[in-house]
Amino acid sequence: MSFEYHEPTSIADAVALGARFGEAGRFLAGGTDLIIQMRRGRVAPRHVLSLHRVTGLDRIEVDGAVRLGALVTHRAIEQCPHFQGPLGALVEGAEVIGGHQIRNVATVGGNIVNASPAADVVPVLLALNATVTCLGPDGERTLPLGGFLSGPGQTARRPGELLTSIRFDRLPPRSATAFLKAGRRKAMEIAVVCVAVRLTLDAARERCQEARIALGAVAPTTMRAGAAERALEGQPLTDEILRRAGRLAAGECAPIDDVRASARYRRLLVETLVPRALRRCLDRIGRAA
Amino acid sequence: MSRLALSLRINGVTHDVLTEPHRTLLDVLRDDLGLTGTKENCLEAECGVCTILLDGRAVNSCILLAAQCQGREIVTIEGLARAGVFVPLQQAFVDHGAVQCGYCIPGMILAAQAYLDECPEPTDDGIREALAGNLCRCTGYQKITDAVTAAARGLARARTTQ
Repeated sequence: MSFEYHEPTSIADAVALGARFGEAGRFLAGGTDLIIQMRRGRVAPRHVLSLHRVTGLDRIEVDGAVRLGALVTHRAIEQCPHFQGPLGALVEGAEVIGGHQIRNVATVGGNIVNASPAADVVPVLLALNATVTCLGPDGERTLPLGGFLSGPGQTARRPGELLTSIRFDRLPPRSATAFLKAGRRKAMEIAVVCVAVRLTLDAARERCQEARIALGAVAPTTMRAGAAERALEGQPLTDEILRRAGRLAAGECAPIDDVRASARYRRLLVETLVPRALRRCLDRIGRAA
Repeated sequence: MSRLALSLRINGVTHDVLTEPHRTLLDVLRDDLGLTGTKENCLEAECGVCTILLDGRAVNSCILLAAQCQGREIVTIEGLARAGVFVPLQQAFVDHGAVQCGYCIPGMILAAQAYLDECPEPTDDGIREALAGNLCRCTGYQKITDAVTAAARGLARARTTQ
């Protein structure tokens, strides 16, 4: 590793440095991916722009919507009182990443920009219809998270552009979220499959008004299971409908065989975890009533 | 290559060091300052032997650039005991025979201390989860979690009798 080190103290300074160095520069947040990639020689930026002194990027703002600064850590998400209720899947996703040492520094912005298909918080954000805002030499732009992720390790972020925040709406009444992760052990594990679900029932609490299902580690990017979502909307949520959503999700994902699991096993997990997460949402909506 | 003049606050003492930007806090602690209580192993933030406290939080010093630590409060295992007297958590490790080869212990103690500071009445699962980022190659986990549990109980008793 050999590079020049920079410590911008404002978003404006960080973006100016990002613009100056372009592809030769990398923003450093928690370092839990970047430093390891640099040590392995996979990336070799000539300029490292540490963001830890930039003020205002580590805030969680909650009003009509929720806005997460890019430097919000996973521990901060776990401990945020606003995420204990219907948005609880954010906590469930954040608390299964690494150990405390990782979660104390690893950021939500870094998790998105790193663009691992097995990221844990990303499916939750996708199920919440999150958008990401980037600031760069050409100004600010806001994109849907799903459009921002373009492949393993790849995003629509342009060289020098800084992801500054993530935004999603708070949930309407009769809503819940759930996150489930399958791994070979409970902690310090990269997901074999992870599933995030967001469910809203109609006013009579009988039918699905809106369902969002996001899957991790079964495609080149975190993906939405659109066919499964459509099969649920407007339907009474019987066990058979939930199982059908699981089968559809298993059919529309595109897993690969790798060291962690076979593609076939991953599909079986999706088929099981999707209805399980939906049932968990139904339980949570019922309990909150 | 350019060098950075850093002023690092470690265990309450300020150290001025001149180092290259790529060097980690772990490198500086062990090689420049001789603070070898912080161990080096996987260098990928998997094993936890390099755990230190940064502004009171447990972090892996192997993936933390020394340059990022300026103006922040660093505590290593050398900084825990006061005047040669163990803190209760360290004493609990001794009392419970929680130390086998010892290599993971500085990281275990600092991760556990950060957790007890944050959560004074921990559950057994909470303790295990808090130490998930620390591997023991002797697999002596039971006595380690016993020690942390005992220390938490002792600290709780001390609080109620105060």
